[in-house]
Amino acid sequence: MKIHEYLAKGTLFFHGIKIPTSKFYDSYVEENISFLPCVLKSQVLVGSRMKNGGVLFAKSRKEFLNFLKELTEKPIRGETPDGVLVEELVDIRHEYYVSLLLGRKERDLILCFSEKGGIDVEENAENVVSGPFDEIIKSVPEILRETIFRMKNAFESEDMIYLEINPLAVAGDGQVYALDCVMDLDENAFFRKTVHTGYSFPAEENPGFHFVELTGDIGIIGCGAGIVMATMDAVKMYGGEPADFLDIGGGAGKETVIKALEMLSRKGLEKILLNIFGGITSCDEVAEGILSFKKAHEEVRLYIRMAGNKAEEATDMLNLFGINCYDNVYEMVRSCLQVGDEYALR
Amino acid sequence: MSMLYGNERVCVQGITGRYGRYHALKMRQYGTNIVCGVSRNKAIKEIEGIRVFQSMKEAVEITGADTSIVFVPAPKVLEAATEALESGIKKIVIITEHVPQQDSLKIFKLAHEKKASMIGPNCPGVIVPGKIKLGIMPESAFKGGDIAIISRSGTLMYEVALHISKNSSGVKAGIGLGGDPIIGTNVAQAMEFVMENEIDKVVLVGEVGGNDEIAGVEESIKKGFKGEIQAFFAGRAVPKGKTMGHAGAIIEGFEGTIEYKERKLLEMGVKTFRKFDELFI
Repeated sequence: MKIHEYLAKGTLFFHGIKIPTSKFYDSYVEENISFLPCVLKSQVLVGSRMKNGGVLFAKSRKEFLNFLKELTEKPIRGETPDGVLVEELVDIRHEYYVSLLLGRKERDLILCFSEKGGIDVEENAENVVSGPFDEIIKSVPEILRETIFRMKNAFESEDMIYLEINPLAVAGDGQVYALDCVMDLDENAFFRKTVHTGYSFPAEENPGFHFVELTGDIGIIGCGAGIVMATMDAVKMYGGEPADFLDIGGGAGKETVIKALEMLSRKGLEKILLNIFGGITSCDEVAEGILSFKKAHEEVRLYIRMAGNKAEEATDMLNLFGINCYDNVYEMVRSCLQVGDEYALR
Repeated sequence: MSMLYGNERVCVQGITGRYGRYHALKMRQYGTNIVCGVSRNKAIKEIEGIRVFQSMKEAVEITGADTSIVFVPAPKVLEAATEALESGIKKIVIITEHVPQQDSLKIFKLAHEKKASMIGPNCPGVIVPGKIKLGIMPESAFKGGDIAIISRSGTLMYEVALHISKNSSGVKAGIGLGGDPIIGTNVAQAMEFVMENEIDKVVLVGEVGGNDEIAGVEESIKKGFKGEIQAFFAGRAVPKGKTMGHAGAIIEGFEGTIEYKERKLLEMGVKTFRKFDELFI
């Protein structure tokens, strides 16, 4: 989970990394500022904040107040800001790029470093060197090393999966400052509650499934992330647009199925696909959920594919109520979109 | 990934939990040599004839267990796996999902140091039809045959296995690597298993993100794999979300996309399919 810059900076500070003198405003207040010139930064999570007017520089008190008002109210790329972080402008001598992540291939902590930090680092990717931390750290300028070791310590002790400081700046006073950062925490580690980010953990709210809303009109429910993704792909392949990703997981019962279907129908979807491979899941329990939903929502068209554990019982049960089942996912999708096999884009 | 002979002495960690118990019995029914279970629950000493110990050390000393399958809740996986590896377990399969990535990394490093094989976390495990089932897969979908399935996704492995069992020449081994970014056995290591077992037909079931599939195939070809690989990827329709937006974007960039993976695999002679029911027919 990506957290806002002002919380991330607090975490860096806790781990001994220098940040500029700063103040966070969650709303507009008319007050004096003790440090000028300053930079005002909209606290949003979307990228390219600077290029979209989310970062403004103030030289006077008047400018500061105007900009603070503007940024507390202005959405950036559609995202309402959490507030505004105001920082004293640092006299920058050099900007570096540093990030830490867990390498899938290397199965090790990876350090990425560039001598040329700043907003265009992604366009200058060829300047970025990356590899196992212990190797890359050797080629990093001496002046940055202490800060980067502190980053490593923060990364490991706070269960981060990504930490980027860009720019990591050397200032005129010879000090190293973290000027902007991206911090992604591993939600699976929240149980440790060791984070010093000031982040308030959301109350446990577990609907029993994993849901991501998309822009299309074909509802999709499945058991297992892989199956749901493959079903979405099939819909796209035959010219349709998935409305969602909804994974009810393994071992889902009747209630979960009803809850999932209810949620999608509340979004006004007229066609919903269910792709169920019963491993631990018992297809007949899923069928019971489908029947119970269907009684209340005659208007929603359901396309169902069942295989595995108790699939035959489930199919019989659904057939009895006039609901057709498919045993092949592609057949189900074609029927839903009313296209032939030739439609598949190869 | 080390060989599976079918005579492994298997301990089930977290055997008193709902899933641990259910799958311990299912695996035993399949023919897997379940020698014991371990649980922190002091009240349960036995489950349907399977002895339950309170520590891995004791379990290994008394039963000679050499393999472990882990069902304990995510916050306890690091502790459980560490205990197993410190006690001399040589093959460990971690079924549990939502394990913190840094915990997975620590377990991987310890397994590497102890020269043990690790599969998972967040995986369905491994099955060699007719020989051993070390996992939670529905065995009826895995009819014995000559094709190996290597998959990052659990349910998709079952789908493909069912298709291979029904419409092709059956399954020699089903290897569920797991869907997490940090996993104990990657495609390259699963391919080593394939080569040691002299399997020459492989289905690779991949997902969007990372480039493990490419690296794995590349390495196996370098090591002399001459068989046929066919691949199916899921996640083409997944929009580039916030996570794809930064994590490793600079070093991965285009490389995590399915288009890129398919193109690279094609160059290495791997056939790729848009529909999984066209694999090996």
